[in-house]
Amino acid sequence: MKKFFVAQITIILIFAGGLSGIFLYTDVYENVQSRIVNVLCLSCLKLEPKTSIDFVFDTANGKPHPEFVIENLTIGPVFLHFSEDVCHGCEVMHPVIEKFFNISFEKTDSVYEIKNIQGTSVVYFYINIDHTTPELRNSLYIYDKDNVQGLPMFSMISLGYDKGIVKPYFTSVYGTLKDTDQERLDVFSSILQEGIEIYEQNIDGFLKLRI
Amino acid sequence: MKLQVKRLLSQILIFFSANLGAFGLKTGFCYPFFYCHSCPASTSACPLRALEQSVYSKSFTWYFFVYPILILGFFGVLTGRAVCGWACPIGLLQRATGKVARRLKKYQVFDEIITKKIDRYLKYAKYFVLIGLVILTSWLIGFMLTDICPIGFLTGTIPTLLLYPGKFVPNTFFLISLIIFILFLVLIFIVERGWCRYFCPIGAFLAPFNKISYLHVSRVEEEKFEKECIKCNACSKNCPMGIDVTKLYRDPECILCGKCITVCPKNLIEFRRK
Repeated sequence: MKKFFVAQITIILIFAGGLSGIFLYTDVYENVQSRIVNVLCLSCLKLEPKTSIDFVFDTANGKPHPEFVIENLTIGPVFLHFSEDVCHGCEVMHPVIEKFFNISFEKTDSVYEIKNIQGTSVVYFYINIDHTTPELRNSLYIYDKDNVQGLPMFSMISLGYDKGIVKPYFTSVYGTLKDTDQERLDVFSSILQEGIEIYEQNIDGFLKLRI
Repeated sequence: MKLQVKRLLSQILIFFSANLGAFGLKTGFCYPFFYCHSCPASTSACPLRALEQSVYSKSFTWYFFVYPILILGFFGVLTGRAVCGWACPIGLLQRATGKVARRLKKYQVFDEIITKKIDRYLKYAKYFVLIGLVILTSWLIGFMLTDICPIGFLTGTIPTLLLYPGKFVPNTFFLISLIIFILFLVLIFIVERGWCRYFCPIGAFLAPFNKISYLHVSRVEEEKFEKECIKCNACSKNCPMGIDVTKLYRDPECILCGKCITVCPKNLIEFRRK
């Protein structure tokens, strides 16, 4: 009986020590918080947000547009593709995006490409929130237009004219969008088309403001 | 205060603390019980999701694997499956539906076929759910239990649809999840604690800890039990997990609810430490 009690206490200490150690020496707490609890798992939810492609000026969390977006807006409209490692919807959308931008990449990569579409440069970012920098990860919350906090999310940041000032003007869509790949490609085409059009109308004003 | 009232208060209190996300509290802990992080009010992560994420598609993230095991193991080695009986919100739900199941048990068909014949084999299904659907399919083909999980449907999907009407549409997993959810409802209404008994992977993880846990429920010493037991069988009749309590000693199915302790007229069953 005494041996059993000693074994029990030993096992309790192993688990307690292991828990203390994992909290002290790893960032597992922050990872669980940022990668599971704060990001809505759309496949766990068995739902997808309804997609509306209305462009807006105000960021979702009221924070300013990140510097990497502002910088790249001088090149062309910016397309942000947010994903994560464990996400059914992300896997459905990965080949669609590869086909749409004619690129190939692994889901754990970070991708930055400038693509010429209809004569306009479009800046493409692939952001896997499990393998990226805090700045890129936090942009998820800035562009989470409908406050879904779910992945995959696709944001198109263009330029718009608001009360005399040219400002970033963006939309975000979520999930797998439609039932077939062709329909998904059509949604991206229409977003990109609109983004490019308003970008072309406003880029001169934006560059003047930057100077 | 009576034991069962204490247990009810504990379950209600923990249900509310599991939902403090409604007030903005989103932590990096894993629940030591089954509850979905997709619930709009969730405070913490589902331990199964962390496990699935750790082995998804032949990858391995060691800390996502070890972390839920340490949390569950810590509670397991201290109290065995007491979290099922005293903390789990799904346990609280089954406490309510158990009354219907208990009434149905009076009919021979339920008692003979379900409780006695199926129970013997089906209680091992939860181990297959844990190893098969949480670990193996996630590892091999990227299919996860949480995608079709009835608890996720109950605590994530339904509240989200109610809170944000018109904002979401069903995805590819919705229909199969709905069917599984309906079967889950049927199960918990016809078998008392049916989910805990047969399919709960967290219960499967915690069950072996009953063999070594510091706190457990057992009969008093053999000699005293044999001498004083009046063979009323009230303990076994009232056990929500269908255990033959007269033979109880560190049973893996025991959720330490203490019902047998409450009903024993001779006080021959007790919580024990060590």
